[in-house]
Amino acid sequence: MSKIVTLQQSIMAEDEKFAASIREANRKRGLLMVNIIGSPGCGKTTLLERTAKESGLSFAVIEGDLATNRDAERLDVLGVPVVQVNTHGGCHLEANVVEKAMEALPLDSLDILFVENVGNLVCPAEFDLGEDFKAAMLSTPEGADKPLKYPYLFSSSKIVLLTKTDLLPYLPFDMKMFTDDVKALNPEAPVLHLNGITGEGFGGWTDFLKDRIKEKKTDAR
Amino acid sequence: MHEVSLAESIVTALLQMKEEQQWKSVVEVRLRIGALRQVFPDILSFAFSTVTRGTALEGARLVVEDVPLSFRCRDCGTSWQEETVLCPACGSIHRETTAGLELDIESVEVEEQS
Repeated sequence: MSKIVTLQQSIMAEDEKFAASIREANRKRGLLMVNIIGSPGCGKTTLLERTAKESGLSFAVIEGDLATNRDAERLDVLGVPVVQVNTHGGCHLEANVVEKAMEALPLDSLDILFVENVGNLVCPAEFDLGEDFKAAMLSTPEGADKPLKYPYLFSSSKIVLLTKTDLLPYLPFDMKMFTDDVKALNPEAPVLHLNGITGEGFGGWTDFLKDRIKEKKTDAR
Repeated sequence: MHEVSLAESIVTALLQMKEEQQWKSVVEVRLRIGALRQVFPDILSFAFSTVTRGTALEGARLVVEDVPLSFRCRDCGTSWQEETVLCPACGSIHRETTAGLELDIESVEVEEQS
């Protein structure tokens, strides 16, 4: 005899348990966790290098890459505690892996834990790592049409970072289209224009982080 | 998104349930997938048939129900489905997404031990 059993449960229930456990541990610590997502080469590690040099914030990084320790080495020389996770072909990080990586970091003495996700605009956006928010990154050479082509990332992030703005004079980048599309997907997310070479726009990024850290520490009390 | 990962999660959860509930077999699995979730149903079905091969779920049918996007205005409470930034009733920017993010196993049809 057959019967229908109603489940109404999330497909990622198992993953969500790990994410919930990370979120709860960080809430108690008052530690802000930010999941940075963007294409390969959009400037994710450069953003973190500059944040290390200029923000005065104390943070650690979990680096997700298919292969190599290169990104971790770039941050290690700056004194940033960093754990490299190699996914060996996996296109995104998952919460169980992140929870393990966190064990190697001095979490209690930090303002922020950044996760630099695997370079990819699709899957990383889908997997909850227990972060406070996602930061979506796009570099100008990738094209202004990308938010609508990857709507989930841009609609589910708390902030959108447009990098390599120094290249704008040389590119057919339609800024109005980009701005309108991001607004349509995510009306409340601020959009910051950053230039990793000159540091332009980084003040806005640092201020944004400091406000979020303050909120987080207040909630922890 | 990563259809194989999703298929693996579904299979892991259902195999565990099958064991606990002592089902004889799983005939059909119904999913609800939101429009924003970047899931390609054909790839998911293919992944599901591949991942279930050789398991107690082999042969189970996968049915995917697409859930369209839906928004609600946090200021005036109006609901709408077109992808517009501002509330069509009051013009507020305080929009929340109320549907389109689903990634759920809705139900399963199972054969019970006789």
